Amino acid sequence: MNLDWSIVWQSRGALLEGVLLTILLTILTMLIAIPGGILLALMRLSRSSILAGASTSFVELFRNLPLILVVYWAFYVMPVLLGIELSPFTTGLVALCLNVSAYNSETFRSGINSIRKGQMEAGVALGMSRAQAMRQIIFPQAWRRVLPVLASAWVSLFKDTSLVSVIAVGELAHTALQIRSQSFRVLEMLTAMAVIYWLLGYPQAKLVDWIYRKFGITE
Amino acid sequence: MRKGAGEPPIVLYENVRKRFGQFVALNGVSAQVNKGEVMCLIGPSGSGKSTLLRCTNGLEKIDGGRIVFEGESLPSDERAMRIIRRRMGMVFQNFELFPHKTALGNVAIGPTTVLGMNEAEANARAAILLDKVGLADKAASYPANLSGGQQQRVAIARALAMEPDVMLFDEPTSALDPETIGEVLNVMKALAEEGMTMVVVTHEMTFARRVANWVVVFERGAVVEQGPPTQIFEAPHSARTRDFLSHLGWGG
Repeated sequence: MNLDWSIVWQSRGALLEGVLLTILLTILTMLIAIPGGILLALMRLSRSSILAGASTSFVELFRNLPLILVVYWAFYVMPVLLGIELSPFTTGLVALCLNVSAYNSETFRSGINSIRKGQMEAGVALGMSRAQAMRQIIFPQAWRRVLPVLASAWVSLFKDTSLVSVIAVGELAHTALQIRSQSFRVLEMLTAMAVIYWLLGYPQAKLVDWIYRKFGITE
Repeated sequence: MRKGAGEPPIVLYENVRKRFGQFVALNGVSAQVNKGEVMCLIGPSGSGKSTLLRCTNGLEKIDGGRIVFEGESLPSDERAMRIIRRRMGMVFQNFELFPHKTALGNVAIGPTTVLGMNEAEANARAAILLDKVGLADKAASYPANLSGGQQQRVAIARALAMEPDVMLFDEPTSALDPETIGEVLNVMKALAEEGMTMVVVTHEMTFARRVANWVVVFERGAVVEQGPPTQIFEAPHSARTRDFLSHLGWGG
């Protein structure tokens, strides 16, 4: 077999750009999907049945659709249906945010629900409003329980960003696959892609383990 | 004469009814709490004592009758009820301290959040109260590092920080190890001696006998008998009171 690894080094500029775009996509998605998830969770926990219903529908829709379908949908259907024309990058970001917000909202909701009812009562008994008790008592505790789960979601998301390569967003997967199809260096490029994802993903996974140890406390 | 009988009661229960689904928790309870007195609610588990206490500060909504606090019926509006709750301190069976706050932080959070007091002032008040419950040296400790008895004393200080007119105790020693029950009861006794009005749901008959001014015996959501502790513990009028006390090994 004739292997030529120089293609990897020759493509380093493009690959680096791909890596940066992958990281950017991950960060932007989480920056939107964390507040998005909190909002959805609060809507679902609110006493308004309209807000709760809307949130539940959203979450159950996007949690149960394959992400790749949402990506295609955002790319092909959204412009026709809603008349919104976005760049591939923004389209991919929208699709990721829809999916990750839905997951995050469930994470936040279960985090909030995991705090004993008596904690809310203790705050209310002091004269706090429910909103004050949420901010002062429930959120700070729920946050510690939610953080490790969010960290796991982060690592999944980092890899899942590769799915937006199907709509030609030039992140790492798309870039590597492009070079592969142009150079016909299939084995080399796929291996390089695997190595890069792994090298980037492994420290993140280790960081998650550390967060679990530090914050994954039991009372 | 009953303590505080000359003045209008702080809390008045009139024919209070409460049900949870099919279960009738309170079946027409009438009683009153006078200013400066300690009223103990005793009776078998599930007889409605805790429910009455939780209705007093609106943690549960009553289905019938009325509860009058300092001359006015408890409002159904949540916002108005919140103002009333500031004047009632509550101590829970499971302490319900806030685990992410130090002992000092637990005591200061009511004044800062609810009364808008500045942090320095609230911390000063909290320090005084922790000293009062004998925990000045534990101000910086988190609840997880305190014994049950210490946690419950912090919880008492937390409730006192709002300078309430009445303190509600919901089985404050039921979750404690036997060796720490005494320290909590002593704090409560000292509070009673200062003249704090207290409603105490308890299984500690010795405490009720020694500290209460008035004892109410519950059974199946109704008051079986009420009176001064000498009556309840030495010459109960009701056979059911005698039964209940003898089950607890109270010789009378």
